[in-house]
Parts: sequence; structure tokens; C-alpha cells
Amino acid sequence: MRYIFKFPDIGEGLDEGIIAEWYVDKGQAVVMGQPLVKMETDKVVTDIPSPKTGRIAALYGRVGETIHVGSPLVEYDIEGIEGAAAILEASKPAFEGIKEEGAGVVGTLEVADDSAYLPATHEAEPVQTKSTLHGPRQRALATPVARAMARELGVAIDQVTGTGPAGRVTKADIETYFSRSLKTDPRDAVRVTRDIEDLSGRGSPVTGQDLPVEVKPLSQIRKAIARNMIQSKHNAAHMTVFDEVEVSELVRIRTKYKETFALEGIKLSYLPFIMKAVSLALRQHPVLNSEMDMENSRLIYKKYYNIGLAVDTEEGLVVPVVRNVDRLTIRDIASAVNLFADKARKREITLEDMKNGTFTITNFGSIGGQFAVPVINYPQAGILGIGRMVEKPVVKQGQVVPGIMFPLSLSVDHRIVDGGEVTRFLNRIMEYLGDPVSLIIG
Amino acid sequence: MVYDLIIIGAGPAGYVAAIRAGQLGMKTALLEKKDIGGMCLNWGCIPTKAFLESAKFFARLKTAENLGIDGIDLNKVSFNWTSAKKRSSGIVRKLTAGINFLLKKNGVEVITGEARITSANTISIANRLLETRKILIATGSYPPPLGSDIPAGKLVQVHDLLQMDELPKRIVLVGHGPVSLEIAQFFQLIDHDITVISPAENLLPGVDDYLRQYILKKARGQGIRILENARIKGATDEILQVDNLEIPYDLVINCSWRNGIVPPSDVDLEADANGFIPVDDMMQTRVPGIYAAGDVNGLSYLAHMASAQGVFVVNHIQGVEGSMDLKQCPINIYTVPEVAQIGFTEAEIREKGIEYRIGEFPMSANGKALAEDTAEGMIRILSGKKLGEVLGVQIIAANATDLIAEAAAFMSVEATVYDVARTVHAHPTVAEVFLEAGMDAADKPIHK
Repeated sequence: MRYIFKFPDIGEGLDEGIIAEWYVDKGQAVVMGQPLVKMETDKVVTDIPSPKTGRIAALYGRVGETIHVGSPLVEYDIEGIEGAAAILEASKPAFEGIKEEGAGVVGTLEVADDSAYLPATHEAEPVQTKSTLHGPRQRALATPVARAMARELGVAIDQVTGTGPAGRVTKADIETYFSRSLKTDPRDAVRVTRDIEDLSGRGSPVTGQDLPVEVKPLSQIRKAIARNMIQSKHNAAHMTVFDEVEVSELVRIRTKYKETFALEGIKLSYLPFIMKAVSLALRQHPVLNSEMDMENSRLIYKKYYNIGLAVDTEEGLVVPVVRNVDRLTIRDIASAVNLFADKARKREITLEDMKNGTFTITNFGSIGGQFAVPVINYPQAGILGIGRMVEKPVVKQGQVVPGIMFPLSLSVDHRIVDGGEVTRFLNRIMEYLGDPVSLIIG
Repeated sequence: MVYDLIIIGAGPAGYVAAIRAGQLGMKTALLEKKDIGGMCLNWGCIPTKAFLESAKFFARLKTAENLGIDGIDLNKVSFNWTSAKKRSSGIVRKLTAGINFLLKKNGVEVITGEARITSANTISIANRLLETRKILIATGSYPPPLGSDIPAGKLVQVHDLLQMDELPKRIVLVGHGPVSLEIAQFFQLIDHDITVISPAENLLPGVDDYLRQYILKKARGQGIRILENARIKGATDEILQVDNLEIPYDLVINCSWRNGIVPPSDVDLEADANGFIPVDDMMQTRVPGIYAAGDVNGLSYLAHMASAQGVFVVNHIQGVEGSMDLKQCPINIYTVPEVAQIGFTEAEIREKGIEYRIGEFPMSANGKALAEDTAEGMIRILSGKKLGEVLGVQIIAANATDLIAEAAAFMSVEATVYDVARTVHAHPTVAEVFLEAGMDAADKPIHK
């Protein structure tokens, strides 16, 4: 028999989703519960499990296509069930069986809203470009092949001028549009920030040439990162200061408490100390915890110290935020960091987790590298990059002794703050890290 | 008085262009040295199809019993060439009259005589010198003489057939295009002895290999002798020496691959050795303002392409932009069963490195074809794997030459196999094979 599986209502009041990835191919045998497709919705990314065991006869929709709840997703060819049995089978609810196993319809959840990446404050949430993707679109007059090709190449067909009869968009029009788009000035890349469609397929001069490349559509999270990065580089006046701090004392203290914390199941890294140091330094240098509101010619000083942590995941960067760090103990901060690390690994970071950061720390040193020029998590005023800790000879009281150095890279928005204040701020952080006891004394 | 357009040759390219030009209000003259309608109407497409139909009907009588008709004494049934020819001429007269009417209605001035191009803007004909803004050469083609010593009276051109009072029994055809096979089919159907000598390695160049093999096997099975890559070495009144074979014969018909007819001209049209005048994408010759359409430009030998080119040229002169896709042209072969193809052949698709799939459906599973006792053949839809774009369609069927029109229509709108599979076809019709083959390509057919 044939069975058509329709995109189920996955809750959250969503009525459509975008196909992010097919896990199955036409002709493939699948078993009940096996993930069929990854769907991205406004709020989540979710795997849709197979409601039946059988062979896939057809996939309705390609990657990037919007599917409405109730629209066909997959057609099955189920062997051995014919006639009356087939009718009975088809009338069964799709998720019978799966619910019994307690698996639920929605498997893993991953936040992938367009604004998922780095929303520092409410004010700063980017002006949405969603309507380009989700809103009602006027259906362009186009040939079937032109439509299929446009989908394939990620070309927005309603942007293409048709040369066919009655202005119909033909295959040749798509080809011309696509090859022309490859030739556009790279500086035009800035423009793509305003057009999510443009981010999804073209722009690379290598595609279209006869070179061995693989073209993949961007994930929602990648698009969000791209847009936010360009927004930051475009709007903020980046300036970076580098320095090193000797942290033998910090190393001693951390080593001392590491074991104790471990007994409580808390992994103690250097990050909580750095976060604490930054939050305290921010209180003394409030301009680094502010945000510029150019439109209204004012600076907004934030009286809360929420430190975002840039976390590297397979899908891309996410930045969960630890709140009121200035008021937390090292133990509290360590617990929060542990929790987020765990959530990130399970892809469970939520939009809520990433909201309202005031300053960001990026710890690339845990992977390697000493100095970098971090990109500000716009519209925050600064971001501190932590490099890899290294042993180096240092001079103390006229003697060359072994020291442990922490490389620091601080990027700030020069619109907001000038070099002097930045250096004072960095010095303050270094003082805290060089003498960790002062973190408690304040 | 200056003409907007003067067209030399009143075949399918010329007369169609003339009507179109007239419709667009251009002052147009159509120059023709012989007959309005050209080869197609007077000796080619229409007359041959008319007497081929007589032959088909004659042959089909032999299967009357299959359809439940008794009492036909095949000994008393005979093919009357004179009557078949008369019927054919009647059809031609009717059509020619229609064209003359249309030319007149659209204000086209028809001038009889042999034209000479004296400059890019002047043509002399019948002691007149005509001035014009544009010239369209649509002079067509002719089969070059056979370079063999065949005794006088034993060799005719294909268009001479209609002048013959009687058709000899043992016929040898020289040529390798579809026309050779069609004429051969005609003689086979009326039980004449027929041999086709193809000087080329392969009969039916440009035709998909699958179709070619199928139709050649079929023709051979019907009793048509086909010799490929063969040469006439010598001839007596009775015997034709073809390579090492001695073939008894009564008549040789020259159906050779045709050469272009270059009109007398004082400007150099740079025609090649075979008389083809080179043109650009807009069908313009190397001389600005002079166009060439139809057989004479060597792009195609088909009447429908000639007409399409003629209209295209007039549109271009009037500033209508466009392009001619020569691949969007059906190729029809009027054999039994008929063969038709459009788009790319399988070999061409493979050469382009396109990943493709073939949707197939046999006529033997089609209800209407079975009911009509013509369930021989099949349809193949070749489509790109990635987008499902229909790249080529091939049909072998009793009425394949009409069926191909559906393929032409959906290919002209760049349809995919999904569109073909979605199109509701009336039942019962032979055209349902499209639906099934479309489904076969897109997913899986219902009736296979």
C-alpha cells in the first residue's frame, strides 16, 4: 500500500516549518521512529520521526522549502498490506506506537530562531527579516524547470526578470541571474545582511565554475551568525588591546580547590575567575557595560552584569548568558558554566538562555591560540578574548623566574569608549587575576 | 517604391514569413520561380503523406479479418497509383489555393520568375529591379545528382515520382534521411520490391539510437532491404552493382541528402561547398540585411523548422527579440509504425554528462492502441535526474507523429516529468502513455 505522511502539528502554535535536512532518500527502507527529516521552525529545530515502517516512495519538498502543517511530507510504500487492510492502516493515527514508547513527537530541540545568536538586549534584537522567508510571496510566472532550478540554486524567483512569453521566467533566466549574481562586487556582501535569501545560496565566485565544490544551504544559526557578525563589524568601531597577566597565584588557588569542587560534581576551570574579575571591573568602569543609542544620542548604562560565554558547538557559536555575575560566588559561576556546557553539548540552549548579556567572554584558548581580535557581540561595548595559558620566564624583583602567563585580547567599540579607559579597565581585570584574593575582598 | 521585405522562395519558410510580414503591415514581395508552397506542398510533405495513406489503407485491408471483417478477397484488391496520385493532387490544389488566398488577403505581392540579388537592397526579377530594406532567402534545397552511370530513364528524383504514370516493381532508393525510409515504406506497403542504399554509415542521422535500431529492424522485418555504407559501382539496364552485390532493378530514386540552393547573387553570400548559406543566431547572413531561413541555411531539413525560422526572421526585423531553439523541434518519420522524437537523444544527454532517467511505457499496455489493433511501439521520456526536466521524448506508435505534439508543448514551457505525471489525460486515448511514462520517470506508473 501507499501511505502519505503529513507534516504533523508539533505544538508551539506553529503552522509551518522549513526542511533543514532529509535523513532519508527515496527508495530507502525506514522503521517506525527513525528520524525522517530535520525541520526548522520559527522557534525550534526538530527531527520528525517516521510513523511507519516501510519504504520511502516519495519525498515532498526539498531542503529549504516551507511545509505547512497537514501538507504531505513523505510517501511510503508499505509491502504486504493491500486492500481493506491498507484502508485500515491508512486511517490509523500517525504517531500511534511512538507515543506508547514515550518518545514523543518532538525529539531533540535546538533553538534556531533567526535572532537566536547573541541577542544582547531587548533593544538590540535585530529588525526581523523573516518576512522575506515566511511571509506571503507573490507567485512569479515561471516554467516548472525554472522553479526547480531556482530552488536548487537558492535563487529568489520573484527577483528574476522573465524573458519568456508573458514575462515568464525560464530556465535560461535563472541561469543568467545566477551567473550574474556570482559576478557581483564582493563589497555587495554587506547588502546580504538585509536579505536572508541572499545569504542562502550565492555570492561565492567558485560555484558555477567547473571546480569540485559542494554547495550546502545555510542553517538558520549560520545565517544568524553571519548577519550578526556583519552587523557588528558594520556598526561598531572595533579597537583591540592585547596584554598578558602573570597568574601563578590563580593557578595555585584553582588547583587547590579543583579537587574539592570535583567532589561536588563541579568542574572548576579558570573561566569563573575571569568572569568574576570582568564583572567587578565592569562595575568600576561602567562605560564598558553600556550600549550606544545613536538614534536618541544617548548612552545606556546597564546596572546589571550579565556575562555571555561564546560556546563553540558543531552547529556554530552560541552565547549563553550567566546573570548577575558580580553577585555570584566562584562556586555559583562554575555551576552555571558547567550547566551551559552540558546544555550546549545536548543542543538544549534556549533563546531565554541567550538573552540580555551585557559583556561577552570568548575563551578560544581552551582550543589553542594566544591572541585574537574578537568581534564585539553588538551592541555590547566590549568582548574579552582569553588565549592559551603559557609558561614564560618573567622578571620578579630583579630575578628571572618561571611565570604562568594568560594572554588577553580585549575588543571594544571605540564609539563608546576611548583607549585610556579601555586600558584602565584591562589593567583592573589583570590586577584581579594576578591577585585572586582581591576578587573576594572586592 | 521600396519594399520592406522581399522573400525569395515560396516554400514553408518563405510563404509563412510573407504572411507574417503582411500581417505586421510590411510591404512584402514573395518571389517564386515555380510553385507556391515549395517542395513541401507540391512534392514533399503533403503529397507523399497522401499516397502513403493510400498504401497504408491498402496494406491494412490484409488485416481486416483481425478486426472481424470477412469477405475481402485480397486477390481482387489492388493498388491504383493513378487514383492515389489524383487524390494527392486534389489535396495539394486545395492547400495551394488556401495559401494564395492568405497571401492576397495579407497584401503580399507574388512575383513569378527567377530572382537575382544585385545588392543588399536590390533584386532583379522578370526585367524589373526591386528595391527593398531587407531580403529573406528561402530558396530551399535539392538532392545533388548521383555520381553514378545509371542508364537514362532508370534514374528519377523523388519529386519526379508524381509525374510517373506507373510505378515499376523493383525499386532502389539512394539516400539516408527519413524521406528515404518513408518512400521505401510506401513501396513495401504496396508490395513492391524495395532496396535502400545508404551512402552514409548510418541511416537516419540525428535520430536516437534506440529509435533507429527499432525502426530499422522493423523495416528489415517487413522486407525492406537496407544496405548501409554502400556505393553503386555500376549499372546495366537490369542490374545494379552495389559493392559486391548484384541487385536486379527497374528504377533508382535519388533521395540523397540535400544541398542548399543559392540564388544568383552579385553579393557574396559565402555559401559553403554544399550550397548552405551560413547565418548567425538571428538567421542573418554575413551580409547585413540579408537573411536566410529554411533548408538553405543548413540548420534543418524540416518544413516546420523552416516555417518557424521564417516567422522568427520577420519578428527579428520588427524588433521582437527572441531565440530559436533548434532542439525544440520534433523529428517525424512516417513509417509503419510512425517514429517521432523531440529534444535531446540519449547519446547527446550522455555526452553532456547530464544524469538522466528514462520513463517508459509500452503501447501494448494502452487500451486504445489495443482496441485500434496498433499496439506496437512505446514511449520514452528522458529527464534530468536533478530537476526532473524533460530533456527528450521518443515515440514509436501508429500515430507517433501526432502524439509528439504533446511533448513539444510541455517542452516549450520547460515542464518536468512531475508536470507530465500530473496532467490528466482523457481515457481511453493513446496519449495516456505520456501520463504513464511521466509517472514512471517521476515515481511509478499505475498500469505497469
